[in-house]
Amino acid sequence: MELDATFTALADPTRRAIVARLARGDATVNELAQPFDLTLPGISKHLKVLERCGLISRSRHAQFRPCHLERAALDAAAEWIETYRRIWGERFDRLDTHLREIQAGQRQAEEGQ
Amino acid sequence: MSGQHEAAGELSFTRVFDAPRELVFRCMTEPEHLTHFWGPAGTSAPVEHIHVDPRPGGVFETIMVNDADGSEYPTRATYVEVAEPERLVWAEAHSGMTVTATFTDLGGGRTEVHIHQTNVPGPFLRPEAQAGFTTSLDRFAAHLAQLTARDTR
Repeated sequence: MELDATFTALADPTRRAIVARLARGDATVNELAQPFDLTLPGISKHLKVLERCGLISRSRHAQFRPCHLERAALDAAAEWIETYRRIWGERFDRLDTHLREIQAGQRQAEEGQ
Repeated sequence: MSGQHEAAGELSFTRVFDAPRELVFRCMTEPEHLTHFWGPAGTSAPVEHIHVDPRPGGVFETIMVNDADGSEYPTRATYVEVAEPERLVWAEAHSGMTVTATFTDLGGGRTEVHIHQTNVPGPFLRPEAQAGFTTSLDRFAAHLAQLTARDTR
């Protein structure tokens, strides 16, 4: 599943930092390597992971092949978070109802005694 | 209690229930209670598919079934910590997320439940995503107002 790959890719702090940097604008591999104190092969490995799950794209033709953040992929992940928040909200609405019902049942039982 | 502050890569939800803490805690750990609320709207959580072994290393497994088409969403987790009636911590196998549920006795038969999910990658908590929390809290306040109005009628 693509979203799983996205989350796995972003579980790594260096890759999260690369994504954060690209959110400010496109950057070349050299520009990305500098702040992370990584070798070019090291940074390339991270970029390949991000590229595979569609979080970044690289121009095939431009000489310096700048990396570009694909915001749609990030949005899909953000949507996933929204889904999780909705699940907890609805779950707790139902728990609220359930608690009221069982407590009303308890009160009735006590009054019946 | 820690966990009130938001750090990158974390999600929080809070809800106050008009019920004593022991009861709310039991609802979160007993299949016969979980089956009533674990599935969000449009789904159900059949009691025969809920497996709960509330001790560290014990299983916490549920299947949410879509009411419309019958598709199933299984979740397999393992308890990391069980401190009745204050705290439950479980780790979900498929998402790698850890969920901490903290139960606070507010007195007067009211209980606050705070859900804290970690290992959510930081970039998802962009300003736009975080703005959602405010919306969620607004909804929660509206929900409480409705309940209070209903109670005083």
